Parts: sequence; C-alpha cells; structure tokens
Amino acid sequence: MMTEFTLWDIIRNLITGLEWTVGLSLTAFLLGGAVGLLVLTARIGRFPWLQKAMKGYIELFQGTPLLMQLFLVFFGISLMGIDVPAWLAAAIGLTLFTSAYLAEIWRGCVEAIPKGQWEASSSLAMSWVEQMRYVVLPQALRIAIAPTVGFSVQVVKGTSVASIIGFAELTKTGGMLANATFKPFLVFGLVAVGYFILCYPLSHFAMRLERKYRGSSSH
Amino acid sequence: MDLVRIDAVHKHFGSNHVLKGIDLRIGAGEVVAIIGRSGSGKSTLLRSINGLESIDDGQIEVDGEKLTAGQTDLRALRQKVGMVFQQFNLFPHLKVGENVMLAPQVVKKMSRADCEPIAKAMLAKVGLAEKFDAYPDQLSGGQQQRVAIARALAMQPKVMLCDEITSALDPELVNEVLAVVKQLAVEGMTLIMVTHEMRFARDVGNKLVFMYQGKVHESGDPKELFANPQTPELQSFIGAIN
Ligand SMILES: Nc1ncnc2c1ncn2[C@@H]1O[C@H](COP(=O)(O)OP(=O)(O)OP(=O)(O)O)[C@@H](O)[C@H]1O
Ligand SMILES: [Mg+2]
Repeated sequence: MMTEFTLWDIIRNLITGLEWTVGLSLTAFLLGGAVGLLVLTARIGRFPWLQKAMKGYIELFQGTPLLMQLFLVFFGISLMGIDVPAWLAAAIGLTLFTSAYLAEIWRGCVEAIPKGQWEASSSLAMSWVEQMRYVVLPQALRIAIAPTVGFSVQVVKGTSVASIIGFAELTKTGGMLANATFKPFLVFGLVAVGYFILCYPLSHFAMRLERKYRGSSSH
Repeated sequence: MDLVRIDAVHKHFGSNHVLKGIDLRIGAGEVVAIIGRSGSGKSTLLRSINGLESIDDGQIEVDGEKLTAGQTDLRALRQKVGMVFQQFNLFPHLKVGENVMLAPQVVKKMSRADCEPIAKAMLAKVGLAEKFDAYPDQLSGGQQQRVAIARALAMQPKVMLCDEITSALDPELVNEVLAVVKQLAVEGMTLIMVTHEMRFARDVGNKLVFMYQGKVHESGDPKELFANPQTPELQSFIGAIN
C-alpha cells in the first residue's frame, strides 16, 4: 500500500539529501584541496619524473567522465575484496577528481607569476622553497581564489553522480521520492532548487572576487 | 687582486653560440660598462655571472666563489652578487621596506629588528627613506628602480650587476637612477653594467667592454676607446649612436 507524501514530507526528505550533498561536497573540496596541493607541488617541483607522473594524473582525471572515475573507485576497491560503502567510494572518487582539477587551476596561477619575480628572488640567493613561500605563492594565492571558488560549484554539481552508485545524496533522494510519489516534475524541480541554493551564492561570490581582483592593485 | 674572473666562458642557446669564449678580469671598485649591439650577448654574459644563465664551458669566480658548467648550488655566490633588472621586478605584494628586508631575513636568517636599520639606511642611500611603508605600485618607475637597488644593496654584495636599468624609464626619470648608480661608484662599489647610456659609461665607468658576436671585441679605458676606437666594428657602433 502506498503512503501518502505531503509536500512537507518531500521537502523534509530532500533536505536530508541536501545535507549529504553538502557533506560530500565539503569533504571532496577540503580533501581534494589538500591532495591537490601535494599534486601541485610535485607537478611544478624539480623532479622531472614526478612532474610527468602528476601531468598524467591530472590528464587522466580531466580526460575521463567523473562517472567512470566513480565506478572505477567503487568497483575497483570491491574487486580487491574490500566492501566499500557508497559514501566512502564517492568521497574518494570526488576527492581525486577535485585534486586533479585544483592542482591544474593552481598551476596556472603559479605560472602566471612573471619570470622576473623568480629571477629577482633567485638573484637575492633565495632557494626554490623560499621563493615559493615568500614570493610566488602569496601572489598566486590571490589570483587563485576566484577560480577556486568557481570550481567549488563544479564539485557540488559533481556530487550528483554519486547517486548512481547508490549514495543517498540530493539527486538519489529525489529519484526515490519521484518513484514513490509519482510526481517526478515536482520532486526534481525541488531538487534543482536545492542545487541552485548551494551553487548560486558560490558562483556569485566567485564572480565578485574575479571582478575585485582583476585590474586592481596587487596587495 | 681581481674580484671577478671570467675565464673562457661559452654559452649556447640550442644551436645558437651566444658566448664564444669570454675572458674578463674586474678588480674591486671597478666600474665596468658593457656595450654592444642587440643580440651580442651582453645580458647573457651578465646573467651568467650570478648563475641566472648556466654556462656550458669555462669558469667564473667572484670573490673566491667559483661557478662552472652544470653547477647548481649558487647560494654562496649569489650572496656576493647583487642584480638590478630593466623591469625592476619588485615584489608587488610586499611593502617597500619588506622588499628590502626579505632576503636578509630569509637567506641570512637575520631578525627583523636587525634588518630594519639596514633597510632604512639603504633606502636613505637611494633617497627613499620616507617610502618604507609604501607599496611598489604607489611609486614612479624611477623610484621603483631605486628601491630595487636598495634591495640588492641590503644583501651587502661585493659586486652589483645592472642590466639596462634605465631602459624602461621615462626620460625624465633616468637621471635620478643614474645619480644613485654614480654615488655607488664613488663609494667604491664594484659595478658591472650593460648600458645604452654612452655618456654615463664614459664619465662614470673606468672600463669599457665592447661585445661583438659573443666575444669581447675591444675593451679598455672608456674615454680612450670612445675617442680612439681600434676596430671598425666599435667605430661603426659609436658612429651609429652619435
Ligand atoms: N632564453 C633564451 N633562449 C634562447 N635564446 C636566447 C635566450 N636569451 C637570449 N637568447 C639569444 O642569445 C643572443 C644574445 O642575447 P642577449 O640577450 O645576451 O643579447 P644582448 O646583447 O643583451 O641584446 P639586447 O641589447 O637586445 O639586450 C640573442 O641571439 C638572443 O636571441
Ligand atoms: Mg640585453
């Protein structure tokens, strides 16, 4: 026998799904940022073989659909005889995805720092690490903020893929509710509103940062 | 005693043989002006002296610090060699005072308290004591270049390299920078400068090096060389300027 769902029931369930979406986004973004920093360091560092390996890593994640990456993590780990819960597979997959993209975004920011900054700091006898720490990264960080915030929108939207391996975030919750209520248009309309509520402020914020930093003085 | 010794230095960029066996001796307190046509290797030679360009053969020695082909540890050498660039290259995210103090703090591990008087003295020397807390983009080009000189001086180098340091400046700002360089020369700083300011090279320099196709084609006392260029290449070079 089918239960009657009130509008409030639908919204209540969707909010729970939304919370998981936020949780997964934050996890992927924070862990992805941390891993991305390591990837960045190796990518622009002084060891050619590490540079190449990281280039491959980044290209791998940029050149395949996120869905495939998630499948590979989910089924790949299962294949090793380890039973991974969907949320863990989703978190790992999205973290790797995020790390590759952020490393590439940040590499662009580091390379945007003029060669003269490297030469001036070199001629002052600073080491590579010192140049990075005191001269290049502080400047790269400023120009990295806007695209980084902008990319967080991609991460939020990317979490919807986790629904396919059965993780009950917003999209998956919406799917289940649509089946139960026979009101797919209403339910997915609300799901879309949920994503919009998360993403709009982020992209708006990113645009404002972009405008603030573009053409303004650099301190 | 020679402060800078350059022996048989060769440098290629790919198949382009840019420095073809440079020999040069520079004594402490000498002011050397390097002149020559575009592409003759002036910048490459200058940048080799502090290892911004690696050399393929030969040896460079500055105050006992040797530099050879393939060498990567340049920290000791670079502490003895200051460099000022055409484009100033100040650190835009740091205040003027911080620009000057950064390397002494980071490289020489001096405390801020110890650096500050040095930085202030160096800024006073270039006439910008009052700009300690300004940001580089609040200064004119001439002022920025003087900060760059102060920044290099704060490391207390034995020799200063200047690569066309007035070429990016508006004409009315050139003299304030040249005046600072002249003052350094008077105080006995060893200077090696690539310059298009021929009058400055003649009046302030005590050695002129004319580079031609990757070699030192002619060198000697500036006044003498300008008055009596020995080679047709230097004659035509001087002729082209006047
Ligand atoms: N990084 C580089 N890569 C490849 N070739 C270079 C590089 N730097 C300089 N060259 C070449 O080396 C030669 C000498 O250049 P260099 O900059 O030393 O000349 P210069 O005498 O300083 O000229 P200018 O008066 O134009 O500054 C030129 O042919 C130049 O094209
Ligand atoms: Mg040059």
